Amino acid sequence: MTRGVGGGKGFARPAQGGSPPISTRLRAAVIGCALAFAAAAYMDFVFAPEDSLQGPVQRIFYLHVSSAIAAYACFALVLIGGILYLRREDPRPDRLARAAAPVGLLFTSVTFVMGMIWAKPIWNWDPSKTWDARLSSTAVLWAVYAGYILVRRFAPPGRTAARLAAVVGIVGFVDVPVVHFSVLWWRTLHPQPVIETGALPASMLAAWLVTLLAVLLLTGTLVATRYVTERNRELAEARRDRHELVRLESAAEVP
Amino acid sequence: MTFAACALAVARKDLLTEWRSREVLPALAQFVLLALVVTLFAFDLDAASAARIAPGVLWLVVLFAGLVAFGRAFAAEKEQASLEALLLTPAGPVAIFAGKALAAAAVLLACEAVLVPGIGVFLGVGLPPLAVAAVLLSTVGMAALGCLFSALAVQTRARELLLPVLALPIWIPFVVYGAAALTGRAPQALANLLALDILVVVVAGLAARFVLDD
Repeated sequence: MTRGVGGGKGFARPAQGGSPPISTRLRAAVIGCALAFAAAAYMDFVFAPEDSLQGPVQRIFYLHVSSAIAAYACFALVLIGGILYLRREDPRPDRLARAAAPVGLLFTSVTFVMGMIWAKPIWNWDPSKTWDARLSSTAVLWAVYAGYILVRRFAPPGRTAARLAAVVGIVGFVDVPVVHFSVLWWRTLHPQPVIETGALPASMLAAWLVTLLAVLLLTGTLVATRYVTERNRELAEARRDRHELVRLESAAEVP
Repeated sequence: MTFAACALAVARKDLLTEWRSREVLPALAQFVLLALVVTLFAFDLDAASAARIAPGVLWLVVLFAGLVAFGRAFAAEKEQASLEALLLTPAGPVAIFAGKALAAAAVLLACEAVLVPGIGVFLGVGLPPLAVAAVLLSTVGMAALGCLFSALAVQTRARELLLPVLALPIWIPFVVYGAAALTGRAPQALANLLALDILVVVVAGLAARFVLDD
C-alpha cells in the first residue's frame, strides 16, 4: 500500500516530466488487479483442495480473511495519517487518512458479508438465535469508521475537519482491539486462528497468499486513486478561490 | 495553579452553574423516569422477565442519559461563546477538559441515583449489586470519552447527531464488561472495567489537547 501511495505522489505530475500520465498508471494498476484476481480465483476454486469437513463453503475463508487484513491495514493508515497530521499539520498524511477510511469501510463490509454467507450453513446461522462476538465487534468497527467519515462531512472543512477526524481515527483505533478482546473474552463461536499456528495445509496457504496479494493490490489502487482525487479536488478548489479573488479585485477597481 | 486545582475550579464552576440554574438535572431525572415508563409499556413484564431485563434497562438508560448529560457539557459553553474565554485563561486545555468531564460525571452519577431506585419502583425488582457497581465504575470512563466527543461534536454542524454516532460504538466495551459482571466472572469483569477506565482516561487526556485546539 505504501507503494500505491508513493505512486500517488507522481500521479498528477504533468506527462512531460518523464513519468507516464495518471490514466496510464491507473490503467496498469487496474489490469494488474484484474490479473491478480483471476489468479486468486483459480487458486481458490481449482488449485486448493476441498475441505473434508466444511465442503466448498470453506473457500470463502480466502477472501474473508484477506478482506479483514486489508480493512485493518486501511484503518492503520487512518491512524498513522492522523498521528502525522497532528504532529506536523501536513496536508498529505491527512489526505492519506481521508483516502483510506472509506476503503477500509468497504473491506469491512466484504468481510462481514463473506462471514455471514459462510456462517449460514456451518453454524446453521440465524441472527435471532445465535449471537457471535466477532460479528458484533465487526459491527462496532464498522460504526466507528462510519462515524469518522461523518465527522469529516459535518466539521468545517480544512484544518478543523482534519484535526477532529484525526482524533476520532486515533481513539477509534485504540478502541477496536479493546472491543475485540472484550467480546472474545466473553464468549464466541468464531473459529480460532489457523494461519499463524501452521494448521493450514500448504496448498490452502498458497491459495490464501495469492488472494491476499490480489486484495492488497486492489486496496493500494483504491487508496491511491482516492488520494489523487482528493488532491486534485483541493487544487481545483484553491484555483477557484484564486479566480474568485481576482474577479472581486478587478470588480472593485472598475469605478 | 496546578493541573488539579484548575480542573477542580472548572468542575466547581460547572456544578455551581448547574446548582443555580437547575436546568440539566431536573430534565435528566425526568428523562430517566420517562424511559422507565416507556419500559413498562414496551416490554411484556412479569415477575420473571422483569428480573431478567432490569440490568439491560439500567444500561440502556444510562447510555442515553449519558449522551444528554455529556452533550450539554460543551453545548452550553458553545451557546454562550464562553468556551473561547475559558481557553484564553492560563489554565491548560487538558485541565479544562478534565474539570468539565468531572462535573459531567457528577451529573450522570446524580442521574443514576434516580435511576437505580427508579428501576426498583417501576419494575418491582431489586438490581443485582454487581450491576450497579459496574455502572458506577463505567461512569468514569464513559464521562472521559463522552466529553471528548462532546467537545469534538460542538465544533461541527449537526452536533446532536454526531455525539451518539461517535460515543455509542466506543462505549460498547463498558457494556460488554458490565453485562459479563453478572455471569459469574464478576471480579475479573470489574477489574477489566477498572483497567478500561484507566486506559480511556489516559487516551482522552492525550487527545483533549487536539480537540480543544483553536
